[in-house]
Amino acid sequence: MYGWTGKILRVDLTTGQCHREQIPVDLLHAYLGGRGLGVRLMRDRFRLDPMDPEMPLIFAVGPLCGTSSPTAARMACVSRSPLTGTIYDCSAGGRFAWRMKGCGLDAIFITGKSKEPVYLSVYGDLASLCPAGELWGKGIKETVLLLQGKGSVAAVGPAGENGVLFANIMMGEGNSIGRGGLGAVMGGKGLKAITVNGTAPVAISAPERFNEARNDVMRLFRASPVIFGELGIAEYGTPALVDLMAQRRMAPTNNFQSTYFADSGNYSGPAIRKEFHAKKDGCYGCPIQCKKSTPDHEPLPEYETVNHFGALNGISDLHSIVRANSLCNELGMDTISAAATLSAFGEERGRFPAVEEVPGLLYDIAFRRAEGLLLSLGSRKFAEQRHRPELSMTVKSLELPAYDPRGAYGMALAYATSNRGGCHLRAYPISHEILRKPVPTDRFSFSGKARIIKIAEDVNAAVDSLVACKFAFFGATLEEYGELLSAVTGVEYGPEVLKTIGERIYLTERFYNCENGFSLADDQLPGRFFTEPGTSGDGIDVPPIDRERFEEELQKYYRIRGLNEDGTFADPSFLERQP
Amino acid sequence: MKDQIAKYTSKLVSDRSAMPERIAIAAQDDVLLTAGADDLAALAGAILSKLNSLALVVARPSLPFAEFLIGRASADESCILPQDTETRTFLHDIPFLRREELAADPSAQIARLLGSRKGVIVEGVGIVAVGAITVEQAYINYSSVFHSTFVKYLQDLLAEGFRLPGEQESFDSFRNEWLRPLSAEGLEFREELSGHRDDILNEIERVGRYTVERGLVDSFFGNISVQAGGVIYISQTAASLDELAGCIDPVPTGNTSTTGITASSELLAHRKIFEETGATVILHGHPKFAVIMSMLCETSGCTITDCWKDCPHVRTLGGTPVVAGEIGAGGLAKRVPPVIGRTGSAIVYGHGVFTIGEGFRDAFAAMVDVENFCRSEFFRRLDFPAPIS
Repeated sequence: MYGWTGKILRVDLTTGQCHREQIPVDLLHAYLGGRGLGVRLMRDRFRLDPMDPEMPLIFAVGPLCGTSSPTAARMACVSRSPLTGTIYDCSAGGRFAWRMKGCGLDAIFITGKSKEPVYLSVYGDLASLCPAGELWGKGIKETVLLLQGKGSVAAVGPAGENGVLFANIMMGEGNSIGRGGLGAVMGGKGLKAITVNGTAPVAISAPERFNEARNDVMRLFRASPVIFGELGIAEYGTPALVDLMAQRRMAPTNNFQSTYFADSGNYSGPAIRKEFHAKKDGCYGCPIQCKKSTPDHEPLPEYETVNHFGALNGISDLHSIVRANSLCNELGMDTISAAATLSAFGEERGRFPAVEEVPGLLYDIAFRRAEGLLLSLGSRKFAEQRHRPELSMTVKSLELPAYDPRGAYGMALAYATSNRGGCHLRAYPISHEILRKPVPTDRFSFSGKARIIKIAEDVNAAVDSLVACKFAFFGATLEEYGELLSAVTGVEYGPEVLKTIGERIYLTERFYNCENGFSLADDQLPGRFFTEPGTSGDGIDVPPIDRERFEEELQKYYRIRGLNEDGTFADPSFLERQP
Repeated sequence: MKDQIAKYTSKLVSDRSAMPERIAIAAQDDVLLTAGADDLAALAGAILSKLNSLALVVARPSLPFAEFLIGRASADESCILPQDTETRTFLHDIPFLRREELAADPSAQIARLLGSRKGVIVEGVGIVAVGAITVEQAYINYSSVFHSTFVKYLQDLLAEGFRLPGEQESFDSFRNEWLRPLSAEGLEFREELSGHRDDILNEIERVGRYTVERGLVDSFFGNISVQAGGVIYISQTAASLDELAGCIDPVPTGNTSTTGITASSELLAHRKIFEETGATVILHGHPKFAVIMSMLCETSGCTITDCWKDCPHVRTLGGTPVVAGEIGAGGLAKRVPPVIGRTGSAIVYGHGVFTIGEGFRDAFAAMVDVENFCRSEFFRRLDFPAPIS
């Protein structure tokens, strides 16, 4: 077999058993890997409560991982989110995926709950559960240090151990499996960490064809101003977007009360580079190296993080933003949800957190004490319990990232339809509404957006299953990645075939959600966006979103997806018809 | 979406890339819309309904070059390999279907090919191009295939001459009737740019429009900039040269802001050219004859195979330097700035032309001159081929 290893490692934390199984080839062909494979493997358990011991926590790589396919040293982590209640996946880079594939695995499937803290060690063909009593309670850096020499590490910090609903699983290299609280699922199982250490090579079916496809991808990367342009993400990381979002008047500020923060230049890409002597860093073998770190290898914050610990909380001090980022990483918490929850807390009490308050609040959240006990449940539960539900800027309980939907109507629709809640990455319309890739669309128009969002959701579901980085698609397309995949696996995949696979994955996720009670009522934006304008200026008018037009487009989306008017499935046997 | 269909139908007519009565566009949101020639509209709708994409253009090109390329291809060939850098980078290859291969309803065959590529050529039908997310994208892909087949056919003619019945007559018609004289005559330019933002933006918009209206370039192929007061004003990536209003980024020369992340992929080349030459304006386009002639290299015994990116030599065409270099962060930004100052223009192998000036009058005239020279040189070589030694 080329590309895939065909193997899954099943780990039962309750019994302490680990064993390898063969994955049916048909499933690999139909779901690729990563998100798609993980979602398929959830089929028998998607109704379980996220914290049920039998709820699986799945790590899955893709067929391109282990090759020199650009940006493909990634994996997906899949389970059900304790924050949103939806099916959940998160794509993550670093070295873990590559090392895991090197152990001859396409997936690790973890169920059960250990009585005592353990870590899973996978070393080549061997897998075992080891006591982790000494690691429990430790922060991420110390945990990684104590596991040094055992390969690449994925671990939870205090937030995951204590059940913070937006706890991350952190990779040893500083990457994170973020947003939906899968760190709480892992911590709830008594699993402190996973180490993987393999170097087995991945066989490529057609090496010459692969090299040509790789050259095509790299040529498109070089032709993309967003990727390799002198102002692009390879130079400045995602904070390259700070100035752009300010100029476009769509930087969420003060819990989305406004869309422009006058001091955002303090934490722009150039400001971070200057202040912290930012160096290029990134995932294994990735040519883009969009992550930025200090000369001491301390990861520097992404765009979402600087905006949310900045404008969203009215903070302009770069050093405090960087400290908050580092603290979240160390405690194992999602920066977007943490900052957005603090922002809702700030609006509720009539005062956003002062710079000096932030670290203490973050500790309180991670250790679930004092104010942090309620804040650890995320902004929705916090706002509901304070009888101010309108202050939670979430969709399906997931805190919205740093693109105000009043400034990009495709983004508004995509937040609503996202299967994992208020996420920018499912359809990623910022790519065309703001960054003009592959072609520009009118950001203040809903025209055509229902179809565009549907197509993009399908494309990105395939991308997350290859697994490749979405940033690659600021330059390349499924045409080139389909060619890479065909060359690696020896199975022909064109863009249209990949979109069909993506559609299958997307609908499967939606079906799981609908079976768990999700419907039109959950595909909604916070009311603020329909009643309050953004911050107009510089010749840009940012009115409230027209609710009627939004709902009309949402219904179009349902029709295109073949769903009922309430967003559910007409066909209860949908899953039975899927491979 | 209907307005988009009307807009790009009109563009296909005004840019003279399609026969006005043989154009159809299909687009789908929650319903499928089609417009244009009845038979082509039905075909466009049938193809698009088989694709997970938003729009599709089916049109018969105004020139028969794509079909001639099919006719000249050997029986075992099934696609055309573009030679110019731009389309090579974005299209990779262009599949074609011969007339005898077509089923009674060819929509499934065409959709299958479009499942892997942005555009295809269907003998007897025309160019079929898909837009994944917009009608504009389908139009761009149609334009790219038209551009690519134009360049490839004329290149092949120089190398091999006429081979098909009726080919020469069609070509003569193209030469004598389709081609129009290129000139800057009658155009108004600001002699001096004031340094005021609005004046600069207006002048960029106007000159961008000129390049398309005069037939110098196709609307999506090129970029344009002005340097003034520590700022480079440059057209955005994927901006249409004849519709630049709101699509020009002000980029501080010191990179103190990253708002220019949406600027043209050639921003680096523009910046280096400004630094190297002290020019005030830069115009970059892909005039077809310059693209064709730039790829005509008569060096014998050369071992370089990927000339378009690896050739280190500076050749000349009518005195204008020709250099190799990939677009964006590839080699173009390194190789153009050192050579463009001497003559005010430079050609990039298989890609296009850069010209500079104190104002756009100079830059525009220089681009017209380069293209006119290349056009006449092309026909001179076609009329008087060098004897085979």
